[in-house]
Amino acid sequence: MLQTSHSIECAISDDFRSGGLLQLTIIFIFDSSVLICRNYKGDVDMAEIDHFFPLLMQHEEDGLLCPVLSRGNVHFMWIKHSNLYRILINELVSTTNKNSNASLVYSFLYKLVEVFTEYFKELEEESIQDNFVVVYELLDELMDFGFPQTTDSKILQEYITQEGAKLEVGKSKVPTTVTNAVSWRSEGIKYKKNEVFIDVIESINVLVNANGSVMSSDIVGSIKLKTMLSGMPELRLGLNDRVLFALTGRDKGKTVVMEDVKFHQCVRLSRFDIDRTISFIPPDGESELMSYRINTHVKPLIWIESVIEKFSHSRVEIMVKAKGQFKKQSVANNVEVRVPVPSDADSPKFKTSTGNAKYVPEKNMVVWTIKSFPGGKEFLMRAHFGLPSVENNELEGKPPITVKFEIPYFTVSGIQVRYMKIIEKSGYQALPWVRYITQSGDYQLRSNV
Amino acid sequence: MPYLGSEDAVRELRRALSNPNVQSDQLRYRNTVLKAIRAMSQGVDVSDLFSEMVKACATVDIVQKKLVYVFLCSYATLNPELSLLVINTLRKDCQDPNPMVRSLALRNMTNLRLPSLVEYVEQPLAAGLRDRAACVRRVAVLGWAKLHNLQPDAEIDAAVVNELYGLLRDPDPVVMVNCLRALEEILKKEGGVAINKPITHHLLNRLKESDVWGQCEVLRILQRYHPQSEDELFDILSLLDASLVSPHPPVMAATLGLFLGLCSGLPAVSLAALERVRGPLLAACGSTSRETRFTALCHIQLLLRSLPGLMGAHYKRFFCGYAEPAYIKQRKMQVLVELVNDENVAMLLDELKGYCTDVNPETAQAAISAIGRIGRSYSDRCLEILTGLLGLKQEHITSAVVQTMCDLVWVCPQCSDTVCSALEGCEEMLQDSQGRQALLWLLAAYGERVSSAPYTLEGFIDRVRSEASLGVKMELLTTTMRLFLCRPSETQDMLGRLLHYCIEEEMDMCVRDQALLYYRLLHCGIEETHKVLHGQRSDPSLGVLIGRPAEPINQWAYSFNTLEPLRQAGVETEPASRGSPEHVTFDPKPNTDLSDTLNCSQIEKVNLGSDGASGFTCSSAKVLAPLSLSLSPALSPEEFEHLWMQRHAEQGAEKLEEEEEDYVCLEERIQFPAIPPCSPQSLQAAMQLVNIQTLAFTPPHTLPWRVYLYTHTHHAHYGSTLVIGELLYIGEASRRVAAVKKGMEDGDVVEGEQEAGLSGRALVRKDGREEEVEVTLKQQPRDDNALKGFLSILTTVLHTLSSESS
Repeated sequence: MLQTSHSIECAISDDFRSGGLLQLTIIFIFDSSVLICRNYKGDVDMAEIDHFFPLLMQHEEDGLLCPVLSRGNVHFMWIKHSNLYRILINELVSTTNKNSNASLVYSFLYKLVEVFTEYFKELEEESIQDNFVVVYELLDELMDFGFPQTTDSKILQEYITQEGAKLEVGKSKVPTTVTNAVSWRSEGIKYKKNEVFIDVIESINVLVNANGSVMSSDIVGSIKLKTMLSGMPELRLGLNDRVLFALTGRDKGKTVVMEDVKFHQCVRLSRFDIDRTISFIPPDGESELMSYRINTHVKPLIWIESVIEKFSHSRVEIMVKAKGQFKKQSVANNVEVRVPVPSDADSPKFKTSTGNAKYVPEKNMVVWTIKSFPGGKEFLMRAHFGLPSVENNELEGKPPITVKFEIPYFTVSGIQVRYMKIIEKSGYQALPWVRYITQSGDYQLRSNV
Repeated sequence: MPYLGSEDAVRELRRALSNPNVQSDQLRYRNTVLKAIRAMSQGVDVSDLFSEMVKACATVDIVQKKLVYVFLCSYATLNPELSLLVINTLRKDCQDPNPMVRSLALRNMTNLRLPSLVEYVEQPLAAGLRDRAACVRRVAVLGWAKLHNLQPDAEIDAAVVNELYGLLRDPDPVVMVNCLRALEEILKKEGGVAINKPITHHLLNRLKESDVWGQCEVLRILQRYHPQSEDELFDILSLLDASLVSPHPPVMAATLGLFLGLCSGLPAVSLAALERVRGPLLAACGSTSRETRFTALCHIQLLLRSLPGLMGAHYKRFFCGYAEPAYIKQRKMQVLVELVNDENVAMLLDELKGYCTDVNPETAQAAISAIGRIGRSYSDRCLEILTGLLGLKQEHITSAVVQTMCDLVWVCPQCSDTVCSALEGCEEMLQDSQGRQALLWLLAAYGERVSSAPYTLEGFIDRVRSEASLGVKMELLTTTMRLFLCRPSETQDMLGRLLHYCIEEEMDMCVRDQALLYYRLLHCGIEETHKVLHGQRSDPSLGVLIGRPAEPINQWAYSFNTLEPLRQAGVETEPASRGSPEHVTFDPKPNTDLSDTLNCSQIEKVNLGSDGASGFTCSSAKVLAPLSLSLSPALSPEEFEHLWMQRHAEQGAEKLEEEEEDYVCLEERIQFPAIPPCSPQSLQAAMQLVNIQTLAFTPPHTLPWRVYLYTHTHHAHYGSTLVIGELLYIGEASRRVAAVKKGMEDGDVVEGEQEAGLSGRALVRKDGREEEVEVTLKQQPRDDNALKGFLSILTTVLHTLSSESS
């Protein structure tokens, strides 16, 4: 055993010196059978693929599953893209012989998923089988000889289209974007009504301990655009000063510090560095202009207090109190409080001060839904379950209580769009629409049972 | 789709493809081709359709062209002659006014992977380099790399290489990066693309234009560049600063890799760079992609080796979410253990306690052993948690707790009281062999304090017939023997039964031999038995080694941003690396939980003051290259013997030419006044602590006194070597001279054949002063740093021993 792991290390260092990067083979695997596979460099033995699934199963059994699986000096770096609503699993695997930049490979695999989901809505077995021609084409465009090439789905969508009919003979011309200076937008786009929709969305991630202390909390925000503008418009986005200071890291004392700020490639970063204006030529259609993360101690917007009492062999009693800790003027919509219950619980009984509670036995939880939850209010839910007299011996995890919600017209960080200037050669008038939403991200409160 | 016999399907398709009516109808023709491709991707062998497909290639329909190309590229290698027909069409397409068609043709021409076609491809490729459209140039540039890959031995056309170098200045960033990639491939034998000052500066200035993939490529290739002056270096560093905090983890990692490479001579700058990437790294730890999170965690572990305080304030970021996969949880716990300090210890332990009941047994085990590790510094709090966990009465938890306690007691003997009282009643919950082995070891060490120990052992002995695990049986023998020594009346009867069973009925030779050994030992009298079996219960000296010192960055920089840090985890978390820390009994058990490789940098520090007397000078300012020793793979006495004799013969025959050989000889003297009083056990234990295995030695007080030992050195850059050696002491009145001879050679172990008394001729130098040991080191391949490192470890061990015994 030690000897083998030893030889792997040697292989790595050898390859390190030879300096190659990606030796990629992309494989889609569904349920242990290969759906589609593309060997970019031709020097990975395709028989290696057959070893992947057994290897995966074996590691899973041993509890040693890891995103890198190795066999000899072939390394499988894989991601799993699963659809929550249907239990269907696709695996994207890339084998690489060379000593590669691991995060680069994973980024590429995720990029792949992103591109395919934009093409097929859902990336799953059927969509790949139904569209394998497009999949082949895309795989060719995305990567050549093991090197990523054109990965922007907006550009790809212009010349690789899902309906073969669109690519009529003779009509196919080079998309200007492949050679253009503005690679994310092609020329000659026309709309009757020129509009741009700006969505400011903030997701709150919270982890609260069983004794009620907040372990970690952060805000992940993004500004999304839906651009329906003709020609090559030049846009300028104005944000409120507070956010700008946070962005630039000035005035650290008062404001929260934004970290991990990402702009879409269309934003002129040099301009931003000089005078703090966010100016850009937007991509057509939907895109994410910027994203940021604020790592700060936010008060959990919806606070949950829970008492779960488990009387072995007889019953479980659950009392959950939810409190809206945000401004009275705001209202949280579609609030869902998901409370875990033991897997062998039966005969549920509920009492709620508002909303509906429902038992979802396949997920072992109670879902308490409140359509509209005004700020500052407090609601209560009681649940009662029976337990069988013969106890389930299996060790069960302690899943946390999770909460889902959406609060419109409100952002936790206080980010605000002051203006959006739209300038185009033809001088048309365009309307910007702004919408703010705060929603739950990974919102967990650990329970004591 | 109903499964037709593949032959029928192929025949059907061929008929359709060659039907003129189909051929004249654009849409029908395309659909038929599509059917063929579909059949291909479903695994039907449609290679027979090759000639029909070649015809279908000559069409104006781009979609059909693409389909046919997919087909042709898959089957070209099977039909090299027919593929020649395609080339014409492809070459014609290369003239097409539509750049898409041109690039498509070029790409597929090079994807056919047929060496016979190279001559036809070269001309269009050369033209492609000068094409107006960037997308054609991109394909053409990589095409040259593909051609080279196809014929790696073919001569490189200097004109093409020049043209590629010229295209580094192409306005299109993808063409630029592709040129780098292609040149790297084509010039592999010459060490890759030449990176000089103008190219470096050009690439750096255009870095921003490239996408993430391009930036990473450029940054990786620039690692080969050596700035000519310090000013230039700092200019480059400030240019790179923005990428260092890039929100894209791959770019950030690639930049840091380059930074560390450039600043290898400037540790302060490197440390500052590590501080700078803290934010982006933490952000990557919170990424939505679990693989990115995992990668970031692995790299944080690397960084912590040099900068233990880097993440101290952010320990909450490493708390595990409920739904995270086990590999992330386990990594996070490893990081958490590193971050513990007086302020956060309560919170951290509370959090880890929550993970101990994880549904995944491996995660639970990892959490328990993490608590055990923290227990080395905060034993009371941790023991409280551990004993509390025993109350849960869960098999896997109990087993993990007992193993953890076993490890903990070895390092912190003050914990033994709590551990002893916790052990009562554990044995019912222990099912796996590792847990039972750990329990037995604890009973052996502290049997007199655990009142129920004989009853527990009795249970084990009653069930010994059905015992499957060899390790448990061996441990049981030793434990019963040791318990017999301290509680003879209670144990005598069962010891008899056990020995009887092991000698008469047991099938396994190891167990039988061990039992026979003990049996004969008992014949020698209780005094003798006591001497042999009385071993250490703990090793307080290990306490000094626990606090990991900050390593120099160079020690891990070479593996940064590669797969290696990701793989190391897999080895570390393997359950096989757990066991009992038994050192003293004669069965050679791997000394496991004390980490298989022990870092020598700490030892070297201890050593600095004391080796002044030895002839070897270890410059205190210079940090020795990373060297660690390990015992695996184990070397059997026969193999050792063989290697030893071999080394020896060579040395005798070619003494004069040694310097030119690939191994080197070094002779040193070490002060070691403690040879006669020092017992073999303590020597062996001491050596094992630093992962040097003693294979054989003469009994104490006999002359000449010999010790044979071996170890493996693991060097960060050069892989591993095997070290074998002999310690010899010829007692002549007060003159003590010992010679240590070592032969080093490559890690591969040669099978030996002869089994005899180990009597290698020793090289004795009588000119040594009193109480000196002469050390002769031989090494292969030559690596002075590793040699010096090993020597200083050995010196330290001997010094420690002599100071203990005096």
